[in-house]
Amino acid sequence: MKRWFWFFLVGPQLFLAAQWLQDLGAPPLDMAVLMSLFLAFFAERGALPWLLLGAALGRALVDDAGVPVQILVLGLPTACLLPLRAWFFGQRWFWQVLAAAVGALMVPYVAMLCGRWFDQPSASAVIDSWRVFWAALLLPPLLAVLRRLPPLHAFEEVS
Amino acid sequence: MRRSRQAFPVGLYGMLLFALCWLTLPTVFAPLERWGLGLVSLVPELAASWRGTPVHAAEPAVAARLQELTFDLEVRTAKHDIGSAARFVPAGWEPVHCAVLSADSRRGGGDQPCELLLDHSYAELAGCSAYVTKADVLLGYLVQPGEALAGEDEPDDPARVILLNHRAAAPVMAETARTSGGALQMIVGPAAVADPAPLRVDLWDNPFTASRLRHGGQLVHVVPLDRVDDQPPPGLWLGRTLVWGYDGEVGQDPLAIGVYVSTPFEPRSLSHVVVWRQRGVSAPQPPLRERSRRIPARLWDLPGAAGRRFLLSASAAVPSGAAVVHAGLCIGTTRGLSFGNALVTSFLGSRRRWNLILLPSAAGERPRELSAEVVETDAGVAVLRCRSDSYDGFHAPLPRGYLFTGSNGRGCPAGLFLGAAEPGYELEELQVTIPIEAGPLDVEVLVPGGER
Repeated sequence: MKRWFWFFLVGPQLFLAAQWLQDLGAPPLDMAVLMSLFLAFFAERGALPWLLLGAALGRALVDDAGVPVQILVLGLPTACLLPLRAWFFGQRWFWQVLAAAVGALMVPYVAMLCGRWFDQPSASAVIDSWRVFWAALLLPPLLAVLRRLPPLHAFEEVS
Repeated sequence: MRRSRQAFPVGLYGMLLFALCWLTLPTVFAPLERWGLGLVSLVPELAASWRGTPVHAAEPAVAARLQELTFDLEVRTAKHDIGSAARFVPAGWEPVHCAVLSADSRRGGGDQPCELLLDHSYAELAGCSAYVTKADVLLGYLVQPGEALAGEDEPDDPARVILLNHRAAAPVMAETARTSGGALQMIVGPAAVADPAPLRVDLWDNPFTASRLRHGGQLVHVVPLDRVDDQPPPGLWLGRTLVWGYDGEVGQDPLAIGVYVSTPFEPRSLSHVVVWRQRGVSAPQPPLRERSRRIPARLWDLPGAAGRRFLLSASAAVPSGAAVVHAGLCIGTTRGLSFGNALVTSFLGSRRRWNLILLPSAAGERPRELSAEVVETDAGVAVLRCRSDSYDGFHAPLPRGYLFTGSNGRGCPAGLFLGAAEPGYELEELQVTIPIEAGPLDVEVLVPGGER
């Protein structure tokens, strides 16, 4: 129970923290892609739906579209990457770089499709090659750090 | 068996299915979203409360200029909407200028909305004629409560207008001038949803001449019918002809297979319409209705989204879709959360379609009602892709001027200042310079009012 309390207290704020770092001059960190990678490769399967809900609440703080759209935007890349967990489990840098780049392309694309279908357009539904580059470069090491820290560490699946 | 159950993420797929249900029935799950996001927003609210002193109001000179522009908009809108129709309506009719609350999502002819809800109730419009106009254009008919189309509506509900492209709208006798001289008379009725324009010509007085029409763009005017008492005022116009068919081979004439009427005002961008009442007919006194009330609130920038996305904290519950105003300037609209909080997306940061009114800087020019979306932003300048009306003809350029909100639902009424606009590089593009203020702001939220 305690881990859920900490996750819902801190997890959604990670999205705001990433934007705050960007205000301070850091390169753009796509927390949606980072959460999708964590959910797909490292999170306990049983905890996936609630972790996804927490992440969607966080993204809804920084994005115009509603929570259900955020669930789809984060959940669809997660569902696509999840079957690859058997191969990518553990800190495999090359595959994570690749998955982060694919995620950085997929998240805005899904956001764009959802915006069009459900009439909830958002400013984040734009594919930006710099964001893809930074996602591929920065997200795997950041993921390696965050999954060793609370609150994400408490949800890591034991192999 | 256990392994395969573990491998298949039932919970994840269940959550995705749940999200689809949520999107299908948004009103059912809205409280869940308000509570969830409301709880999550308490942390940034706590952090934001330590940041700076709020800005209260604009400088007096700026505030006075905004007030002047808003007054000018009201005067010019009323003059354009009422003035040119007044010479066609019967003597003794007086106008009631109504704001549009929303265009119903139901589609009529030409795949355009076909119903409007007005800010006046049926009771307030009791005794009015059925005809609804804008400038010298006939738009549609006022519905009476209890009639088939408004069977469940009460007299205190917002009045409903069916536009001419509604399948239940009565056809109109009209005429258009022929290029060779004379006039061609016709019955104009609602087109089908799949048709290229909202109205279609159903019958002609001279079908042979009609079949030889080659070019559209002619004005279609209402004409009087003999021995019919209740008919739209003759002289008002409906739109411009649109000839639909196949291009002819070289040396041959094109083949016309249908003639449509393209209406000058796009229904979804209508912000004001006019209903006519006979002078001397007094409506029963309806309950005094507050159009909207203002809730004081405080606004903070969210990190990484200065000028685009904000956290708002108010003393009362804030609904979704309410306009947030600071010193006469519309900042954006809310997504209401629990605990008196709301997330605000500014006009600059939003990508949804807005109804807007452009007040030209040239004195005396009529205001333009637009439907537009922000396609690009750069340091306080937004590039808008607009759909304007065709009252002055197709592809008329947009003038330089000042941009105001049009009717964007009950919480975001027409007439809130957004910024200074000038024509963009494309024909239907506008570049809008929006004043951005950083730091915490003291603002007001416009909440739709009820009865007093």
